[in-house]
Amino acid sequence: MHNSSQPRTDAPSAAGEPVIEVRGLAKEYRVFDKPEGLMASVTGLFNRKSRVVEALRGVDLRVEKGEFVAMLGPNGAGKTTFLKLLSGIITPTRGSATVLGSVPWERTDDFRRRFALVMGQRNQLWWDLPAAESFRLHKEIYRIDTPRFERTRDELVDLLDVRKLLLRPVRDLSLGERMKLELVAALLHEPEVLFLDEPTIGLDVVAQHSLHRFLAHVQAERQMTVILTTHYMKDVAALCKRLVVVTEGRILYDGSLEQIVDRFTSHKIVTLDLDAPPDRAAIDRLGFPCEIRGPQVILRIDRTRIADVLPGILRGQGVRDVSVEDVPLEEIVAEMFRSGSTAGTDGATGAPR
Amino acid sequence: MTRYLSIFLTFARACLVRDMTFRANFVLECVTSLGWMAMNLAFYLLVFTFTPEIGLGTGWTKEPFFAFVATGMIINSIVQALFMPSAEELTEMVRTGGLDGILVQPLDAQFLLSMHRVDFSAFANGLVGVGLLAWAIPRLPQPPHPVAILLYPLLIACGVAILYSLVIMLAAATIHLGRNQSLYDFWFYLTNFSRYPAEIYSGPWGGPLRALCTFVIPILLVVNVPARVIAQPLTEQGGMMVAGTVFAAGAALVISRWVFQAALSKYRSASS
Repeated sequence: MHNSSQPRTDAPSAAGEPVIEVRGLAKEYRVFDKPEGLMASVTGLFNRKSRVVEALRGVDLRVEKGEFVAMLGPNGAGKTTFLKLLSGIITPTRGSATVLGSVPWERTDDFRRRFALVMGQRNQLWWDLPAAESFRLHKEIYRIDTPRFERTRDELVDLLDVRKLLLRPVRDLSLGERMKLELVAALLHEPEVLFLDEPTIGLDVVAQHSLHRFLAHVQAERQMTVILTTHYMKDVAALCKRLVVVTEGRILYDGSLEQIVDRFTSHKIVTLDLDAPPDRAAIDRLGFPCEIRGPQVILRIDRTRIADVLPGILRGQGVRDVSVEDVPLEEIVAEMFRSGSTAGTDGATGAPR
Repeated sequence: MTRYLSIFLTFARACLVRDMTFRANFVLECVTSLGWMAMNLAFYLLVFTFTPEIGLGTGWTKEPFFAFVATGMIINSIVQALFMPSAEELTEMVRTGGLDGILVQPLDAQFLLSMHRVDFSAFANGLVGVGLLAWAIPRLPQPPHPVAILLYPLLIACGVAILYSLVIMLAAATIHLGRNQSLYDFWFYLTNFSRYPAEIYSGPWGGPLRALCTFVIPILLVVNVPARVIAQPLTEQGGMMVAGTVFAAGAALVISRWVFQAALSKYRSASS
């Protein structure tokens, strides 16, 4: 099934050969429903009911060399399935894809030497051994010559400041430390394409920040093409210029981070700090949706009217401070998820309003 | 080939490092395994206090029979050490999605999945087997023919190949089923037939069973043929069995490869 609705797109126009090109990619799974209760379970042994789940519903995407693309979506949106297809772990039900000119699910060694996949919820280092042992194995598997291996390892290890962790068994490391070493392992063979599946999941703020700095540096230096799936807006804001919003297996938005705000919100948030709690009726008379928190008033004002309206508000209310901000990205994307979900259920277009 | 050997040695080295990290567990596994072997040998010694031969006229008197047991120990220890740990882990990897990490690596997936774990404690049985063989050979009624001595390692390799193929096909079933925790049990039941001389399978039930375990699932060739070559005089029928075993090993490897690749193409990964 091809995606009937066209996603809003502000993606960069194609110049040369894309590193990743995906057309009508769809993946369906057959799942068995497990009935509740003992009798139903016994009956289920002979007569199992199954249904088809559409994890991806015909996705089109084109990514150029050196792009850092964030893929954002709620749980079950199809983000990880998309990365598994691009990594060749699973095969699609329909559609086509090429990564670095290869069809991923043909799993050629030449292709697999040129990319890396890091999954935040999966451990790929040897659990009982120090990371240094896994790195040594990686060197053999990817046929990295010794000088290049040592140079790359030392550079990555120093960037992440994890030298002192190399000889400690992986099982003794914290989640953040483990993720840093997973990234080192993934980048040892200097992949041209990096797939990151929720790499910051469960990490504290310091570890997240450290990974952001590292990834931004390495990507810029190597001109690596990166696709990052995440739930965290901080990851997107820190790393990516291009955002792809996915829900229910469809792309809802594909474009720049800046334009998503312009396109999907008609208002700004104006926050007023007053001397004292205001009179509710007076605020209501302004005619804008508002929220009052003690002496603080939060107004949602049409962005085209801000310049006209704001001077009057500031004159009349005894305002101590004022701030004018865009609607938070989280709020925009959450609204997109909601409208996308509803659209999916109704069978109408997947495009957000 | 050199690269694969180098990678296997790296895996083996990493496993040895890990085993040495948990020394007590390593020693316990060796002791358990050797204890089980000792009990088996004691049982066979007990049997030979009641009869001079397993099946009259079969040639499996005490020393040849212990050469048979030693051959079985050597073959099984190689399979247990090199392939079973990885095959057992595969069931968990399929269930948890750990297989994803293997499939993205630029190496033959079957090689990675069947040889990435080495259980060094399982070699203990093999060493006992070699010792038992060294004890039995000088005591055989007839010393082994030089050709038999040359054929023996080849036939050991064929036996390992047949068992490996069975393991890998059972492991492939895991990919379809999503969970196959009875893999080890099933393998044990199957290989149980290979632990005794083929002559014991006779009569109205034994005959068909012997045919099944020779021509369909060639499990009876695994230990019987190399043991017969080393412990009994070479015969024309023995020559046919040697050829059959080499053919069966090659066919088993090809078929198991096909089954495994077909299973991998159906892999659906686990949800993250």
